Amino acid sequence: MATVSLVGLTKKFATLPAVDNLHLEIGDGEFVSLLGPSGCGKTTTLRLIAGFLEPDGGEIKVGNEVISSSTVMVPPERRAMSMIFQSYAVWPHMTVFQNVAYGLKFQKLSTREADQRVSQFLSLVRLDALKDRYPAELSGGQQQRVALARALVVAPRILLMDEPLSNLDAHLREEMRSEIRRLHEEIRITTIYVTHDQAEAMATSDRIAVLNSGRMVQVGRPGEIFDHPKTRFVAEFVGKTNILSGRFDGGNQMFVRDGLQIRVAGGAEFNARSDAFVCLRPHNIVLMADESRAREMERQGYNLFAGLVRRQIYFGDAVDYTVELPAHSLNLRIITPPSQRYEQGQKIYALAHPDHCVVIKE
Amino acid sequence: MLAAETSGRYWGGLKLKGWDSTLPVWVGASLLLVLLMAFPLGAIFSTSVRNQAGLTFGNYAEVFTKPAFLTAIRNTIIISFWVGLIAVIVGGLLGWLVTRTDLPWKKTVRALVMASFVTPPFLGAFAWTLLAGPNAGALNKLFRAVTGGDEFLFNIFTMTGLIFVMALYSFPYAFSMIANVCELISSDLEDAAVILGANKLKTAWTITLPLALPALLSGFIIAFLHSLSLFGAPAILGLPAGIHTITTQIWTLFQYPPRLELAAAFSVPLLLATMVLIGLQKRILGRRGFSTVGGRGGQKRVVKLGWGRVPVFILVLAILSCSVFLPYWILLKAAFSRAWAMPLDWGNFTVENFSYVLFQYSDTQRAILNTFKLGILTATTGTLLAMLIAYITNRNILRGARYLSFFALAPLVIPGIVLAVGLFIVYTQPPVVLYGTVWILFIAFLTKEMPIGFSQAESTFKSIHVELEDASRILGANRLVSLKDVTAPLARSGLIAAWCFIFIGVIRELSAAILLFAPSSKVISVVIFDLKEEGQVGAISVLGILLLAVSFLIILAVQRLLGRDLVTARE
Amino acid sequence: MRKSFYFLLFPLWVSPASVSLAQDAALIQAAKKEGKVVWYTSLAIPSSTAIAHAFRTKYAGVDVEVHRTGSQRVLQRVMQEAGAGIKNADVIHTSDAGHFVLFKDKGMLMKYIPKGAEIFPAGFKDKDGFYFGMRATLSVIAYNPKSVAEKDAPKTWKDLLNPKWKGKMVSAHPGYSGIIMTHVLALVNLYGWEYFRELAKNGLHMVQSANDPAGVVASGERPVGANGAEYFYYKTQKQGNPIKIIYPNEGIPLVVSPVAIAKDAPHPNAAKLFSEYIFAKESQQLLADREGLYTGHPEVTYPADKPKLKDLKLLSVDADELEKKNAEIKKRFVEFFGA
Repeated sequence: MATVSLVGLTKKFATLPAVDNLHLEIGDGEFVSLLGPSGCGKTTTLRLIAGFLEPDGGEIKVGNEVISSSTVMVPPERRAMSMIFQSYAVWPHMTVFQNVAYGLKFQKLSTREADQRVSQFLSLVRLDALKDRYPAELSGGQQQRVALARALVVAPRILLMDEPLSNLDAHLREEMRSEIRRLHEEIRITTIYVTHDQAEAMATSDRIAVLNSGRMVQVGRPGEIFDHPKTRFVAEFVGKTNILSGRFDGGNQMFVRDGLQIRVAGGAEFNARSDAFVCLRPHNIVLMADESRAREMERQGYNLFAGLVRRQIYFGDAVDYTVELPAHSLNLRIITPPSQRYEQGQKIYALAHPDHCVVIKE
Repeated sequence: MLAAETSGRYWGGLKLKGWDSTLPVWVGASLLLVLLMAFPLGAIFSTSVRNQAGLTFGNYAEVFTKPAFLTAIRNTIIISFWVGLIAVIVGGLLGWLVTRTDLPWKKTVRALVMASFVTPPFLGAFAWTLLAGPNAGALNKLFRAVTGGDEFLFNIFTMTGLIFVMALYSFPYAFSMIANVCELISSDLEDAAVILGANKLKTAWTITLPLALPALLSGFIIAFLHSLSLFGAPAILGLPAGIHTITTQIWTLFQYPPRLELAAAFSVPLLLATMVLIGLQKRILGRRGFSTVGGRGGQKRVVKLGWGRVPVFILVLAILSCSVFLPYWILLKAAFSRAWAMPLDWGNFTVENFSYVLFQYSDTQRAILNTFKLGILTATTGTLLAMLIAYITNRNILRGARYLSFFALAPLVIPGIVLAVGLFIVYTQPPVVLYGTVWILFIAFLTKEMPIGFSQAESTFKSIHVELEDASRILGANRLVSLKDVTAPLARSGLIAAWCFIFIGVIRELSAAILLFAPSSKVISVVIFDLKEEGQVGAISVLGILLLAVSFLIILAVQRLLGRDLVTARE
Repeated sequence: MRKSFYFLLFPLWVSPASVSLAQDAALIQAAKKEGKVVWYTSLAIPSSTAIAHAFRTKYAGVDVEVHRTGSQRVLQRVMQEAGAGIKNADVIHTSDAGHFVLFKDKGMLMKYIPKGAEIFPAGFKDKDGFYFGMRATLSVIAYNPKSVAEKDAPKTWKDLLNPKWKGKMVSAHPGYSGIIMTHVLALVNLYGWEYFRELAKNGLHMVQSANDPAGVVASGERPVGANGAEYFYYKTQKQGNPIKIIYPNEGIPLVVSPVAIAKDAPHPNAAKLFSEYIFAKESQQLLADREGLYTGHPEVTYPADKPKLKDLKLLSVDADELEKKNAEIKKRFVEFFGA
């Protein structure tokens, strides 16, 4: 069973903990992303799992075997894993074919078998025509595919990927991330994917683990993370958001400021009358100019915010509004489909369903 | 795919981490390195405080009170000081001219500086005895012919002559340091001065100079240290005039009956002085090995020499003639002459010297073979060891890996003759007697050339992304296999350069070989020294030319490989 | 080595025919089996290689490995190797008789009387049979006739003290050369250390080997040699170089250069064969004809233009005294001359 367990994993550089008491269980065949800003410890965690770094505390298990701990350190070459690096790390002095074939040297395959496998995976990533080229002659995207084929051809138990798409242009990135997801669904290798790009994580992963300053902040399915962020950090990092601070009054009520009371979802675990935040996603807020319809929705239970259009940025596929609520000296950010166009300074009503107003602590 | 093995083990109370099978290699290499350094140094320290009676400081007392020894110490300090000063002035001037002005034919100038660098100082000294011996020296003869008088222009067998020759072959070190720094100084800083009204000279004096000061100081120290450790030049030029230096004095103490404990006591202060000065030099330069000067990036415009262009170039050429053209010319002449002091006419022309050295005299034949054998062996072993050690320090494989780089660079601090004293003491007695064999020379050369091999290997590895090795390791290759399959091929040109540097260093080494050689393990430098004592000018010239030719061929090959100028691109 | 030996060089002393090397076939066989003899010698390179070449030609199959350096260096080498337990040298030959007193005292020599050496004069033999004089030469004054007219040339050792020779003389060094070691002791016995103190005031150019002054004088670098090996001056002159030799009438240091076999010689039979060869008339004559040396062999004849030893006033030096004063001579010389 190619499951991975991180139990209290800790790594310090000088005295600062880069990874701080991390717990994570990754299931067999699961695709989990480690998501976070730079310096959050995600790459360090990945390198700990790969065996390039020794933990200062805790342990790493694959299946039932301990592979890293204070007493055990299985070297990377014996972990039966593969890794794709941010720099691709494709060897410049070997051809594409030789690069991909390299890992098979350590398995007991006949040359014929090995060659067959290599060709198979080269077709899989659509590089068969370039098999005798050298990496210097390839584009970034092509090199990335070489790295992919090289990692997969050895049939690893676990696949590790360290920000593999960050050096590609936006278009290629999108293409490659669906490619990665597609391959995963076909081959189903346990995969741990490191990225700072939340869209990438959402598009590829079964679950996302959000890290900050070496600690695990939240782990869950993409939808969960997005819809029910546990902390302000997660809310802001994963997707765009509005954050309103205020006091949670219990019973799904939140007091934001004078005259602004919001009905919220969640908060069951919070004490009444404690400080809290509300997270409203810009996409989840509806804008309308028609006051009567807005009031009607308010009566149905929606939270109503009355304000003026302060700024709008037209993106072609969406419009990004900043709406000022003069009564409460607050700004809300709202993203609408392109068909909704309002004027600068126009009186406008923003509506948010309580389910979309998530209470979070910190 | 191979299954990962559970391999936690306890061994006594010592936690034995899960078995990286390549560990013995790293530990072995590190141990070897440390022992190479530790044995001779330990031997020197312990011998210096012993005599027949037991532990004593009497040896030091004798070294520092006996007039002959004090004179040697004083001579050494005076000589080294002046050498350092001249080296820094000449090296600095040339460095600035080559990097910051529109001096013509800069490439040629750099090449000639490189040639000065490659010429063994003892060979240069020997050539200068032919050029400037007061009566028979070619230059003095010319001078007499021109002036019609009886005087000589320049007697090389004097303190001044010795300083002159030693400076000629020390200035490339200063040049290298200073040229590197001058390259970095942005013109903006100088432009600022010019705008404010300073002329070219004033700008150079008030702006460029202070910025380059750390490099100048550092160059002085390096040249000073280099001259401290020279043996051949003082022996060839100083001894005939009755001038002893510390190195020649140490050598003399080995004559029968030998006074090893005095030699050791002499060596220790030399060692300490070198350590202090190197420490100072590193401090001055900061950790990067060249001073970071103000003005990041910025333009680098060239100072126009104007009408001074040609005269300055002639000056530069004159300087470089002293270290390259004149000595090489006289060596060639002497190699092909029956009587070196006579003009090279048909009657005087001969190839006898070549045939003698190559085919008749067994000592030279043996020495040539020994030299190249030792060169190849040391270069290969040294590169391998340097590669392993640089790998360890670069990839941090062992705990305390950075101390290892200290050991790898430590020999810089040990003058060749001091190292030889230590090795002599260790290997002329049981349990391991290597004296009398080529192996003691091998150890001496390996130790001495380690720093250059290591620093070259280190800078090469730094340029290879660690992820390239990680990629092979995760696919199943252990560290050694990764080193072989990925790192070494990519580091190839750098490692070849390291091999060549070590080779050249070995074939011209004298100050250690002179104490450690035995009749059957002579090398070219020692034979040249031997023949000098017999006055066999023709044979010496042939050997000298051989050394130079081989060295240049290799340097050219390396420059082609690395595609850069070797003098200034090094630390 | 007593003073009066030179009388015994008279050709009247004829030896029985049996002295000519009766080839001991067994010895030759054994030597060939060993394959080579290692010879540490201070005899000038051309001369040593000539002997080696002649031996090799005569006894094919036995090589001579010549290791040549100055006498004092040979001493240093032999003592260093002895101290380290290294057995490399077979035959040892220097121009400092004192060395052999030392070697003999320390039990480092093999007692062996080469056939033919019995007829040598007493001054060429160790009474116990450990070492024998292979060759003899003198230490003399020389000058370059192109730079110095004959009438101005120095005629005696005392003449060299004249300030007019300041900066114009070259001297070899007792720290390197056995010949010069002997020379210095002989002159110290004649005039005392004062002589050298005075001599040093003339700023002599110091070289190492007793053969080196010949080159220095011939090239004109220094027109006068204050000492030096007569045989090498003679050879250099014979090659057409501008050298004239002076044989001072105050007395000329005579240097007899002994040769011996090392006790632990790795190739003892080859060593013995080589020894025999050295003392055979053939090679001794070669030394006299081609190398300008004097020998102890009574039947050897010398070139006509070489002075006969009996016509010269010779200064002899006692081997024991040489050995005792070795270190002192080196030290005081350095004191006066700086290095």
